[in-house]
Amino acid sequence: MALLEVDNLSIGYQTRNGTFQAVDGVSFSLESGRSLGFVGESGCGKTTLGLALMGLLPPNGRIRQGSIRFEGEELVGLPEDRMRTIRWRKIAMVFQAAMNALNPVHRVADQVAEAIFTHEPALSREEVNTRVEGLFQLVGVPKDRMRDYPHQYSGGMKQRAVIAMALACRPRLIIADEPTTALDVIVQDQILEETKNLQQQFGISIIFISHDISIVADVCHDIGIMYAGQIVEYGAREEVFETPVHPYTRALLASYPTLNGTISRLKPIPGETPNLISPPPGCRFCDRCPGAGKTCVTARPSWVEISPRHKALCHSCS
Amino acid sequence: MERDGHKNKTRSPQLERFLEGWSIFVQNPLGKIGLTLLVCFGLMAACSFIPPLLDPMYDPMTGVDPLITRSVGPSSAHWLGTDFMGRDILSQLLAGARVAFMVGVSAAVMSILLGCAIGMFAGYMGRVVDTLLMRTADMIMVMPTLLVVLILSSLFGQLNIWTIVLIIALFRWPGVSRVIRAQTLSLKQRPFIEAAKVAGASHMRIIFMHIMPNVLPLAFLYMTFRVTSAIIIEAALAFLGFGDPGTVSWGMMLQWVWKTGHMFRAPYWLLPPGLCISLITLSFYMLGRAMDEVLDPRLRKEAEAE
Amino acid sequence: MKPTTDLILRLEKVTKTYRTKGGRFGQAGSRVVALNRISLDVRRGEIFGLVGESGSGKTTAGRLVVRLEEADAGEIFVAGTRVPELKGRRLKQFRRKVQMVFQDPYQSLNPQRSIFDTVSEPLVIHRMGNGAQRREAVAQALKSVGLSPPEDFFLRYPHQLSGGQRQRVAMARAMVLGPEFVVADEPTSMLDASISAQIFNILLHMRDKLGVTLLFITHSLAAARYLCDRIAVIYRGNLMEVGEAGEVIERPRHPYTQALLDALPRFGQCGAVRRYNTLLGAERPASQGVGCAFYSRCGVAQRLLCSTQAPSLRELAPGHRVACHYAEGPEAGTATTEACFYAT
Repeated sequence: MALLEVDNLSIGYQTRNGTFQAVDGVSFSLESGRSLGFVGESGCGKTTLGLALMGLLPPNGRIRQGSIRFEGEELVGLPEDRMRTIRWRKIAMVFQAAMNALNPVHRVADQVAEAIFTHEPALSREEVNTRVEGLFQLVGVPKDRMRDYPHQYSGGMKQRAVIAMALACRPRLIIADEPTTALDVIVQDQILEETKNLQQQFGISIIFISHDISIVADVCHDIGIMYAGQIVEYGAREEVFETPVHPYTRALLASYPTLNGTISRLKPIPGETPNLISPPPGCRFCDRCPGAGKTCVTARPSWVEISPRHKALCHSCS
Repeated sequence: MERDGHKNKTRSPQLERFLEGWSIFVQNPLGKIGLTLLVCFGLMAACSFIPPLLDPMYDPMTGVDPLITRSVGPSSAHWLGTDFMGRDILSQLLAGARVAFMVGVSAAVMSILLGCAIGMFAGYMGRVVDTLLMRTADMIMVMPTLLVVLILSSLFGQLNIWTIVLIIALFRWPGVSRVIRAQTLSLKQRPFIEAAKVAGASHMRIIFMHIMPNVLPLAFLYMTFRVTSAIIIEAALAFLGFGDPGTVSWGMMLQWVWKTGHMFRAPYWLLPPGLCISLITLSFYMLGRAMDEVLDPRLRKEAEAE
Repeated sequence: MKPTTDLILRLEKVTKTYRTKGGRFGQAGSRVVALNRISLDVRRGEIFGLVGESGSGKTTAGRLVVRLEEADAGEIFVAGTRVPELKGRRLKQFRRKVQMVFQDPYQSLNPQRSIFDTVSEPLVIHRMGNGAQRREAVAQALKSVGLSPPEDFFLRYPHQLSGGQRQRVAMARAMVLGPEFVVADEPTSMLDASISAQIFNILLHMRDKLGVTLLFITHSLAAARYLCDRIAVIYRGNLMEVGEAGEVIERPRHPYTQALLDALPRFGQCGAVRRYNTLLGAERPASQGVGCAFYSRCGVAQRLLCSTQAPSLRELAPGHRVACHYAEGPEAGTATTEACFYAT
């Protein structure tokens, strides 16, 4: 049984002008110990998806349909007090602006200890302290910096501390939403290495959300490409990147500058993302797609299986 | 390329923001009550010149009912009764509304203009100019307005209503200028100001074309609060006997009640001006609070979408 | 000292320090060196990339060039004029020739002004043309950044545009005066990849078709490689390496540049990828302002020399200058093969 199974999940935000369909009919499953990356541009619904998995949607956001099953338990419609026992203990999250997640008036080590205490009150002070020490060692923060306050940390160290906090209760799944966006490349590289090591060591599943293809390609086993609230291509990373089939995936890859090979002119994607308050009836990419036909405009595309580990949501990708 | 876009109506952001703000505003009960009250007072002020046209005896200042020589209660000829010399209280009340608007709005506009100009100037220039202007503002801010006006009027005798307005304006700008200065300081750092600088814009152009349109909404918000305080100060002055004797304001009416010893004997005379002062200040205050909510998205209840 | 004519920008030993506010009682503010004796030349008609991490001083350099800030020491020449001493009318003339595109398109346009007002403002300021000519110039500028038909955008306001469109409006504003030199300060860091490509191609168009020289400030080596003719790598206010873009990225000499390349995710790369491993596992105490800026993190550095003597830029190959004592030593690192995911 998969650790996490999401089926036909749709999420809407109530706005003054109508319902903004941030996520529409998303399905995927995640095995224990694997990592899944969601790539997409701003507004594609990837952050909303992460928040929904944590049960942390903002007040005007609502799951319209679909199910989220975690270890066989349905999370959609779960009462908040039950959700609270799952959140952090079993599913932890590293947020986009994680450096702001630390409370400036408490020592970093105390904050991590607090997180453990809250969820496992039965532990003794010593047990918690040894665990906190272990966590800091794990994420690579020197022992003598544990008792510092957050403002004494650099951006990278704060991010490490936040990852230590997410690991504090030994969760089965970590959702990382742009965890390295604010960091410099060298620090980012170190954090990504750390993440990969941790995952192999403990068999934690990771959902990695990013706008940066290269990072997701570096960390994740499986990739979901998101566009305008839908997953448009999904599969093992090797297959998705070696033989991308969806026009959007291809366009995205063609717009990305690389560090070697011949320099070919980058091809921007023309046009703008569709309005998700009243999305187009057919394929959501059709008006920017070079190969769009008549059916693309009128009919919703269905999944095309390219290989057992690779599928795409497209009329003309078979 | 941008096919979906250009069918869009090209409303200016001022208009669009106004419409959006209006829809938030009317959803707010405070705003609705405040606005309704204000409309009532507006009608009162607008009607204030009708009674004297009907009969000279309804003139709020000089009209005296020849049949009445003392204060009497409501009757069919005088719906709210008369004062000690037979003047009609209703027409005084209506004239008072006009005076309240005049004093409140003009003092507020003047103090806002002054506060805005000084705040923008101080915030934009910084350094010595900023320090000088803000220390002056601090000094004026700690002076008790009422006391200073009292001293002034005892020095120069009776003050004209416009002098009172001017004094109120001169004493109420510092609060506004502080807020505008803070806003200017944050605007000054914004890249669009730097972009204007790189384009070669002069300081005056930056202040008036780029900073001012962005601080005006805030200034407008503060205006409603200033109206409240101006009306209260004028009423207090009039009640204490330092008002303009040639003007019928609600404060004046209260003073006449007090001076002629009718305080606890003529509720029909005491209550209307008292209630009006409370309600008009309340309505401007509620208006301001509701506008605050429109301008500051953090005060709104709903969260923003992704 | 007259700069040669084919140079459009010349920085000579430019230094800029910021004073931070004292943190606690009685503590004097500390000084942060944003730029430390930087010398650079930018040739007419090229795109010159200034690459560095956050806090490296790259943005400060750009702001000094357009005179949004003043240098503490050193000389800045743009097209032969000394920038720091410009005042009044001559400063205004300078503004016509040198423009800037800012990082955040959500902040760099005045929300209260229409697109036409924004783009035509430089023309109004410099009193150029009459109404019809201005309309024509604005339309031309909008067209050159791919916003067409331009008339559709005249009456719109920034909040009605997407991030990419806003950035293009900002570029049109910079282009409307027909400048010779434009500083582009991370113009794509707030934008998605597919939109960034659009902006890059407009910058290339500006160089190729309009003959504009560009100083492109970025944190991305990949973007610099795509766009730039030459690049300079900057670290904590010090220039580390200057050279042809391809040369610096394919054959980096400075340990810091090598560490940067190591750190970038291996994407779009196949076959043998060289790893340099020049980054020190554990940081050591920094050299207190006298040695090399990268000493504390450098795996190649020798304590005796690197912590006491700041290296100066030396030319190791034609046009390729490196500030490192050990740049010509045996190249560190071994070639390793990484998985190949995606080939262009």
